[in-house]
Amino acid sequence: MSKTQIEDINRNIYDIKNKDEYDYKIQKGLTKEIIEELSKQKQDPDWMRELRLKALDVYNKLELPTWGPDLSELNMDEIATYVRPKTKMSNNWDDVPDDIKETFDKLGIPEAEKTSLAGVGAQYDSEVVYHSMKEELIKQGVIYTDMETAVHEYPELVKEHFMKCVPVHDHKFVALHGAVWSGGSFVYVPKGVKVDIPLQSYFRLNSPESGQFEHTLIIVDEGASLHFIEGCSAPKYNKVNLHAGCVELYVKENSYLRYSTIENWSKNMLNLNTKKAIVGKNAQVDWVSGSFGSKISMLYPMSILNGEGSKTEFTGISFAGKGQNLDNGFKVVHNAKNTSSVVNAKSISKDGGTCTYRSLVRISENAKNSKSVVSCESLMLDDISKSDTIPVNDIRTDEVEFSHEAKIGKISDKTIFYLMSRGMSEEDAKAMIVRGFAYPISKELPVEYAVEMNNLINLELEGAIG
Amino acid sequence: MEEIKLNQTPVRTSRNYNINNIKLKDIKIPKEIGNFESLEMKGKTSLVEKVTSLGNMELKYGVGVINKPNMNLQINIAETIEEPLELDFMLNEQNRNLVENIVINASKGIQATVILKYETVEDIQGFHNGILKVNADKNAKIDIVLINLVNEQTNNFLSIENVLEEQSNVKYTVVDFGGKNSITNYYSNIKGQKADSTINTIYLGKDNQLFDINYIGELWGKQSNLDIDVQGAIKDNARKHFKGTIDFKRGCKKATGNENEYCTILSDTAKSIALPMLLCEEEDVEGNHATSAGKIGEKELFYIMSRGFELKEALKLMLRAKFNKVLENIPVEELKEQIITEMETRLD
Repeated sequence: MSKTQIEDINRNIYDIKNKDEYDYKIQKGLTKEIIEELSKQKQDPDWMRELRLKALDVYNKLELPTWGPDLSELNMDEIATYVRPKTKMSNNWDDVPDDIKETFDKLGIPEAEKTSLAGVGAQYDSEVVYHSMKEELIKQGVIYTDMETAVHEYPELVKEHFMKCVPVHDHKFVALHGAVWSGGSFVYVPKGVKVDIPLQSYFRLNSPESGQFEHTLIIVDEGASLHFIEGCSAPKYNKVNLHAGCVELYVKENSYLRYSTIENWSKNMLNLNTKKAIVGKNAQVDWVSGSFGSKISMLYPMSILNGEGSKTEFTGISFAGKGQNLDNGFKVVHNAKNTSSVVNAKSISKDGGTCTYRSLVRISENAKNSKSVVSCESLMLDDISKSDTIPVNDIRTDEVEFSHEAKIGKISDKTIFYLMSRGMSEEDAKAMIVRGFAYPISKELPVEYAVEMNNLINLELEGAIG
Repeated sequence: MEEIKLNQTPVRTSRNYNINNIKLKDIKIPKEIGNFESLEMKGKTSLVEKVTSLGNMELKYGVGVINKPNMNLQINIAETIEEPLELDFMLNEQNRNLVENIVINASKGIQATVILKYETVEDIQGFHNGILKVNADKNAKIDIVLINLVNEQTNNFLSIENVLEEQSNVKYTVVDFGGKNSITNYYSNIKGQKADSTINTIYLGKDNQLFDINYIGELWGKQSNLDIDVQGAIKDNARKHFKGTIDFKRGCKKATGNENEYCTILSDTAKSIALPMLLCEEEDVEGNHATSAGKIGEKELFYIMSRGFELKEALKLMLRAKFNKVLENIPVEELKEQIITEMETRLD
């Protein structure tokens, strides 16, 4: 059977570059003076300035990871860690400068806000340029604002939770984040409040040779619920850009949080992001993750099931094309009785791309009667790509049901033959099989993202039969 | 005594997971190993040649902590042998340290079974550090049975390296019960077309035993196959680390690899870590792995106990059933009985 020549992705709207205009761009590099200047520019309270300096100290002491993709091309001396766009944060799209607004328009953000979201935050380079939420949620006491505003307006709440779930010494890039973080969203859902329509934050990095280090802090109080969506993209430049964001989720007793991400960074981006949730008694956090962009990605969301009866589900897909090395996965620690986790991870590698599923399931001594089911599947679309599965399963108690299974392979020739015998072309048959492979994930995504994901798969698979 | 690091995985993961290698502290490695003369053999013993050197015994992976052996054995099998060739290494007061290098060369088209048994026959603190290399030529079919029954004062290190040529078949049946620290490494270079490499292992840990098992198979040959099946149980404070890697190399079209590991946990202080890896750079392959862990099903236990068995007996029966796939591959009845008795003693 002839082979499909798979073209590189057409990134159309994501690659629109605006002129690199800014109000302030910090000097490249990472020194104490630069951090102090950044802190001054952001008008940090003292505790935050001290946290930044402590994080810098930790960053300087920690080594680069001795595992995973090669990060040697990252040179912090070439990265500007703070770029303030030439606008102030607004809750009215009309106040956002035309070129920035046009970018978000093309990404469909204002339209989505009108049709399917309860609130939107939009970050451009290092600062949030737009934030708004429906009036009825404000009345119910829901807080959804940019992180800087939260630091000043809700100091106690922020100080109690900021970098407590993800401490600065977790790893080198968390320490970096602690030192230079800027932007991001803060969400607080009060006790018993159910936010039925999702909130969405969109992160756009326009400036070349810069980094984005947004901090997302979400507290879902007892008995409350929330669906939060995070989107990210950037145009492609020749030099490396860096994303080292941090997401901290506190999911309190009996509450529910769904955290969905579509990551579509450009292929010069190093995406070294950290996400962690602490889950309380009978609470649940679900992660839905689509990873398509980046040159290198190292992303392993983590659920810490601290409350009895707490649950987590992870549903994720990675799609690595030419020049991409996506090292993604999931971590879960069962720390209490009757906890459960379900993991369903898929990956597709093509055109020389590398996908790695790397994970940890730890069931601690005190997590009696816990259950964990992990399934991962990898699809190879050609013989120049690579796909690895590296799962660690650490079981420390006997009262447990744990299973892990993984599969790797190509699209079955028999299935293609069957579909072609029903009148389909080879490309259509392959695209249908890949969409079917990704369906368990795409059905969990908000509808507009599911459509976007299917479009991406179509684009990826379009090409001539060679 | 300084710390030694052994059993590195082919690909590293986060250091915090404590699985990239095994670090042993304060482990007693004898400075003088002396001679080893406590070997009994059965079957076609004329094939076993004691030599002064076996040439290059370097390993791609492997756990050797002492390079100079006190026994070099070369076994060239040029014709099919019907009866198993048995080598029984018995560690005792006079022969405490065994550092053996063995090379088995299986010629084209032959069939053979080789049994290697390691045991301590006296209450000693022994030391075992072996290297076994198996070269299977075209169409050769060789079964290796490895039995580790050394006592819990003895440190046990074993490295295995196989090279499989076209359509050869190398099958291992491993019983890994003994050792204070039992650190084993298995590497198969499956280079021939339609070559088939299989390893079926059972382990049974108790008290403070540590098992670190690192199995790696590289599939290079078209339509080649690798099967790894590991069944085990741990009780008391025993720890088990299982690392299994199926590595599909570019060009191994239509190769298949399957890996299955099940750990039965019999106490709430026993610990099991598993890292079943699938590495793949070839599109046209099929790879599967599955690991699971947990205690023995209560329903099944209840059923057996309702037939008049006590809990301990019911547990033994259940484990025996899980281990049967390996036990039935042991070709010598007397040896099989010895393993079953050992199993029952360990579960008491």
